[in-house]
Amino acid sequence: MKILVTVKEVAEVEDEFEISGDDIAEQYLEYDLNEWDDYAVEEAVQISEEAEDVEVVTATIGPERAEETIRMALAKGADRAVRVWDDDIESASYLDVEAKAELLAAVVEEEDPDLVLTGVQAGDESNGATGVTLAEKIGFEWAAVVNQLDLDIEGGVANVHRELEGGVEELTEVESPAVLTIQSGINEPRYASLRGIRQAQSKPLDVQTLDDIGLDADVLESPLAQTDLYEPESEGDATVWNGDAEETAGQLAEFLRDKGVVEG
Amino acid sequence: MDFDLPDEHRMIRETVRDFCAEEIEPIAQDIEDEHRFPAEVFDELADLDVMGVPVAEEYGGLGGDYLMYALVAEELGRVSGSIGLSFVAHTSLGAKPIEAFGSEEQKERWLRPLAEGDGLGAWALTEPGSGSDASNMQTTAQREGDGYVLDGTKQFITNASVAESILVKAVTDPEAGYDGISTFVVDPAADDGFSVSTVWDKMGLNASPTCEIQFEDCWVPEERLLGGEGEGWTQTMKTLDGGRISIAALSVGLAQGAFDAAREYAREREQFGHAISKFDAIRDKLVSMDRKIERARLLTQKAATTYDAGGDATRLSSLAKLDASEISREVAEDAVQVLGGYGYTEDFSPQRFYRDAKLMEIGEGTSEIQHAILGDELGL
Ligand SMILES: Cc1cc2nc3c(=O)[nH]c(=O)nc-3n(C[C@H](O)[C@H](O)[C@H](O)COP(=O)(O)OP(=O)(O)OC[C@H]3O[C@@H](n4cnc5c(N)ncnc54)[C@H](O)[C@@H]3O)c2cc1C
Repeated sequence: MKILVTVKEVAEVEDEFEISGDDIAEQYLEYDLNEWDDYAVEEAVQISEEAEDVEVVTATIGPERAEETIRMALAKGADRAVRVWDDDIESASYLDVEAKAELLAAVVEEEDPDLVLTGVQAGDESNGATGVTLAEKIGFEWAAVVNQLDLDIEGGVANVHRELEGGVEELTEVESPAVLTIQSGINEPRYASLRGIRQAQSKPLDVQTLDDIGLDADVLESPLAQTDLYEPESEGDATVWNGDAEETAGQLAEFLRDKGVVEG
Repeated sequence: MDFDLPDEHRMIRETVRDFCAEEIEPIAQDIEDEHRFPAEVFDELADLDVMGVPVAEEYGGLGGDYLMYALVAEELGRVSGSIGLSFVAHTSLGAKPIEAFGSEEQKERWLRPLAEGDGLGAWALTEPGSGSDASNMQTTAQREGDGYVLDGTKQFITNASVAESILVKAVTDPEAGYDGISTFVVDPAADDGFSVSTVWDKMGLNASPTCEIQFEDCWVPEERLLGGEGEGWTQTMKTLDGGRISIAALSVGLAQGAFDAAREYAREREQFGHAISKFDAIRDKLVSMDRKIERARLLTQKAATTYDAGGDATRLSSLAKLDASEISREVAEDAVQVLGGYGYTEDFSPQRFYRDAKLMEIGEGTSEIQHAILGDELGL
């Protein structure tokens, strides 16, 4: 069995930062593996540890800088990695969900996996759409926001718990090949062991261009353009009462009445 | 000259840093308050393959170099001096000499469990009457049957109360001076006549046990002799070259931890309507702290790189140890000052780094002894 895990290197921002042009100034950014993808990698690696003959391949769209992040996924137990990048992608003005899904679909076509795991969303752009859009493109069954996965490899069925709005849980069966978007908390991602890190240096990491995966630069065209980046005015307003419950409960009640939250 | 760390080293530093921030930092003050050796943290470090970083893979280690080892020691020091000290004593003093001087059987029996993290190593040179001057050693090992009988007291032995094995220096030939010293592997759990008489309460580093230990008619079989009779002193000199690099790295880590706390605080704390980092006095302090740390780190990594290349690292490792330990104490003291009254409380980390940093100027050769070594190296 083969599991393809899509992994993204995301930019994380310090608490205090400055915006320069349409972006956050580089000195305030740190790059790391997308949090949700860390759970997806862990889920795949756990499956590969429990069953025989499971290959875990990661797929990334990202520049050379992302290789360290990709190697971290290899250090945690993925077997090899594919990174898609070239000058056209580099110079694309905005890589939208559609384009990313198209690129990943081409990788899926080449790799022919039984299961594709993605993160629910990426911590930087938070579109939360790439996994499902990918499933549509490749015609796989899919389940989004999976927070528990029980895989029946022989039967080709994934029994999943999905987390829905308002704390509702859904239990579903998904037939493979399938795309599952993985929610944080599904497992406890491991630290890469130091031996894993050393071994990861020699695991295969293939760089593929658009041409290599049979696409041309047209797929990068997008009706979306980023026009601005700004920090929204925060409208938060907190009142804190100090004192014992007796005293503060009364004050809270009065406040709620004042604001019209409760009547009477 | 390439000052960039190899990818592998950077990734290892990253992972150890994450682990330290998540798993060690939250308990770093508690274990000091409780004077508790955190065995559970060492189990986790073993799972991450940290306990055998510079030991060859064939004996269960990671097969990394001293540069990698120095990076790991620095990261541990950045959050906990105690865990860092127990780690470096285990590695450079407890494990490495077995790899360097032991027979194949000894490496299988004694090195492997240390490298794999199944137990902690320790190393016993210092005695109540013999610290800087090791030639005055009183602990003896006398031939008896097909073994030796150890008698004497060793002082300030890191990890002795929690160790899987202890490398003990003892005099086998009282007439031969430095050439009469030999090294023995002692098994604290199995050897009769071994005991821990004191676990010291200290100014800092209280989660790293520092012990006085006794040998009374303690018989060990001859297979426990490490290397040949009379080789104990030359082994010691070689061991300390590596050991000093790790103390230097640990010192850099302590300084970095103290600096990070001070920098963060200075940017938040406001007095007279400004963040205190905007006052020249505080700003200059932070800049010179950063300057000292970078300098000591460069020296430490140069010593490690020289050691890895097989060159003579005595001068560089001694310089690195001397410089890093001094700047560590200075930076930690400045960090306390930057935090003002809060810096003097146990709710903030600078006081802990300050206490811990002081030991670095004492252990593995005091600063005065480093000056003596460096004077010799300069042919003075
Ligand atoms: C927390 C801790 C952990 C330790 N861990 C270990 C361990 O694991 N294994 C081990 O064997 N030892 C260990 N030690 C012992 C440590 O290495 C010694 O304390 C150190 O070498 C100094 O020896 P001393 O304490 O006897 O001081 P002394 O040698 O008595 O020195 C006292 C003072 O005199 C100065 N002095 C001495 N001789 C000279 C000279 N010739 N010229 C100028 N000044 C001189 C010293 O620099 C110092 O300032 C540890 C100590 C501590 C506190």
